[in-house]
Amino acid sequence: MMEAAATSGAYWLRLIIGLVIVLIFSQLNALFLVWLERKVAGHIQVRLGPMEVGPHGLLQTIVDGIKLVGKELITPARADRILFVIAPVLVFTPVLVAFLVLPFGPDLIIRDMNVGLLLIFAFSTFSVLAILVGGWASNNKYALLGAIRSVAQAVAYEIPLLLSVMSVVLMVNSFRFSELVMAQQRVWFVFLQPVAALIYFICATAETNRAPFDIPEAESELVAGFHTEYSGMRFGLFFLAEYTNMFIVCAVATSLFFGGWHGPFGFSFKIPGVVWFLAKTYVLLYVLMWFRWTFPRVRFDQLMNFSWKVLIPLSMLNLVITALVLKLI
Amino acid sequence: MAAKDEALQRIRELLGEGALTADPDFRTGVSWTITCPRESLVAVMRIFEECGFYLESLTGLDFQDTLEFVYHMNTYEPRARMAVRVLCPHDGEIPSVSGVFSSALWQEREAWEFFGVRFSGHPDLRHLLLPEDADFHPLRKDFGTVHAYRKREEVYG
Amino acid sequence: MAEYFPQPAQQQIYSLNLGPQHPSTHGVLRVLLTLDGEYVLEADPIIGYGHRGHEKMGENRTYLQFMPNASRMDYLSGLLYNHGFCLAVEKLAGIDPPERAKYIRVICAELNRISSHLLWFGTFLMDLGAFTPFLYCFDDRENILDILDRVSGSRLTYSYCRFGGVSRDVDEVFVEQTRAFIKRLRSRWPDYHNLVTKNVIFIHRVRDVGIIDKDLARRFGVTGPNLRAAGVAFDMRKVEPYEVYDRFDFEIPTGTKGDALDRYRVRLEEMEQSCRIIEQALDQMPAGPYRQERVRLKVKPPRGEVYFAFESARGQTAYYLVSDGSPYPYRVHVRVPSFGNLHCLTDVLKETLVADAIAILGSIDIVVPEIDR
Repeated sequence: MMEAAATSGAYWLRLIIGLVIVLIFSQLNALFLVWLERKVAGHIQVRLGPMEVGPHGLLQTIVDGIKLVGKELITPARADRILFVIAPVLVFTPVLVAFLVLPFGPDLIIRDMNVGLLLIFAFSTFSVLAILVGGWASNNKYALLGAIRSVAQAVAYEIPLLLSVMSVVLMVNSFRFSELVMAQQRVWFVFLQPVAALIYFICATAETNRAPFDIPEAESELVAGFHTEYSGMRFGLFFLAEYTNMFIVCAVATSLFFGGWHGPFGFSFKIPGVVWFLAKTYVLLYVLMWFRWTFPRVRFDQLMNFSWKVLIPLSMLNLVITALVLKLI
Repeated sequence: MAAKDEALQRIRELLGEGALTADPDFRTGVSWTITCPRESLVAVMRIFEECGFYLESLTGLDFQDTLEFVYHMNTYEPRARMAVRVLCPHDGEIPSVSGVFSSALWQEREAWEFFGVRFSGHPDLRHLLLPEDADFHPLRKDFGTVHAYRKREEVYG
Repeated sequence: MAEYFPQPAQQQIYSLNLGPQHPSTHGVLRVLLTLDGEYVLEADPIIGYGHRGHEKMGENRTYLQFMPNASRMDYLSGLLYNHGFCLAVEKLAGIDPPERAKYIRVICAELNRISSHLLWFGTFLMDLGAFTPFLYCFDDRENILDILDRVSGSRLTYSYCRFGGVSRDVDEVFVEQTRAFIKRLRSRWPDYHNLVTKNVIFIHRVRDVGIIDKDLARRFGVTGPNLRAAGVAFDMRKVEPYEVYDRFDFEIPTGTKGDALDRYRVRLEEMEQSCRIIEQALDQMPAGPYRQERVRLKVKPPRGEVYFAFESARGQTAYYLVSDGSPYPYRVHVRVPSFGNLHCLTDVLKETLVADAIAILGSIDIVVPEIDR
């Protein structure tokens, strides 16, 4: 996994600087996404959204964050204290790891690992564990129901998610993000693998607990689901992790299916790769928000049926066809 | 035969002509009023149930000399509403009709807590609208401020 | 659903208090659910948190003084309750309001019905997890509130009706505003249908969910749109026409199965029918006095009683008034539709999922203060 230069001082310096940048970027990005979500929601609902703090309410989420930091951290009387405190940390730390391997641009990958893709999916599974821990430790029935739903949902949706990703990996023969992106210089994989792209995006929506698959925190059913008992910045961490997760799944979608830092069909129009990458990711993020403010929530059994009866067979079929076609060519 | 006529016919057979009062121009909003003794209440309700009526409303009236419970029955026909009126002393009991109409389960709980008359045979006579520890019966006229407390004939005589 | 339902031997039972403070219980309602996992085994709605004793209040105030109470029972269709109480007292006291007043009341009452249904539409969709239709509906509802605010002076708890008329006359602006609103509302239907009715997730969430059939409805005294969704064309405005409803051409929309989807369709269609009534009433509204001057403020009906039933937004509502000949009612009883509509949930919620329970609770359109009285 580690390259030859791994022990040199430059390597560590590079990693530390990268981590700092990742921390700052992920935080600011999450804050920005919260603001964007509120704006998108506002405009979809024929209202303005936040307007008071800063130009067009741009500083609203920062003020909200300060408020959250100032709030009392309440631990329910009969909660499992250790797990209750660990859960928000557990949900937020793994998402940072994913940033280390994301290919923002040709020269903007902090660690271009040969198993980068696997690393992201391995760590994104941690968020489910964190939700389970948080929901269990809260000693609240709504939280527990939310946690159980979350685990069941994650198990059901990670399978088609990985299967759809595998069909891309088969085409490139690599888990390395730079190679995955380079393979799409001319044609984006969304045109070669439309079914896989669709399945990936549906699963990604479910994976990040976003509407219409937001059943673990289904507000009208389970009050707030797994984070019902969380207050202050502990709730804030769950909240920021959700938005960071959204960014990650969209960034992965961009690099797997939408050509990463490449412009369409090899034309870059002299725009830097990182701009292409972020622009495409934000378009996908907008689509996720668009879903949320348009669709009602699916029911739990419908969600499971859809995964096990439609998505998994379909992605399996897609994988087999991909393998066959690759073998024959 | 319309549900209303069928029900009337059978109640007439059960209680006799004297128990029925007609209101042909629907002035009180009720086409027939049935004065029913407590013992026959469940039988009358069963007739209504079999003829396709539903229990629209159940409420009581408190008079100095007696309590009176009014069951408004209705079916899905124009001007079919009938009232069944049952007199009951203040310390008496009334047979529950919850076995006939499920809606009486709640309506009798409400009438019990408001008027303090037990509905014998009700499976689950808990407080409905009042707090669990309420030991008063608010719609009796000796509770709180009321304008008048009359004898029955002063109102209906 | 039934095929997955756990057998009694495998059940692991726990209970969950849904409410009194919960995002989708629509007021202070508590439903004590007995659950196995997410399956509802028993549901016991516990009510009374908002009991104010309106019926007792009626015994120590005059008829007119009770008028504000009438609109505070069901705060979402306050004007309809107001209207019904007014009609009940008029029937008891033998007051005949002038023609113009009747039309004004009908128009305002139907506007109120639309606003109530719009609010239901929004909150129902919110219970299903769609937030956006809620704000669209509030946008439309705001128009109605503005119109009614202008004529009656209040936006939610109206006391607009008076025995023998209404408190204030309406003017040309009211007529224009109302017509403009109806035009606007009709232009919004395609949006609503595209956003909600044609949405496949929505359809799957509500079809065959929470079936209230004719028999169940009769046992529990379910009325209103919930009953009509089961296929019974029973509407007080048609069956026992009051005011001037017999002069209008409108239909009673009915469903077939009585599931949540039928209830949804019936209510949407009812809004359209209300629009038709308002349009005809605006066309037919005569000039003349808006109030009968000879009616005393302290109405003194003769001895006797009246049971007056009318159609509120949630179903058949009735006032049972007993008069002893004094200016104070001897007894005021209100038959509220939500009472039966909520009670039937003890049966309907059995063997459903928690998510369905919320959808059903939303689809029957209850207003808890109306039940609590």
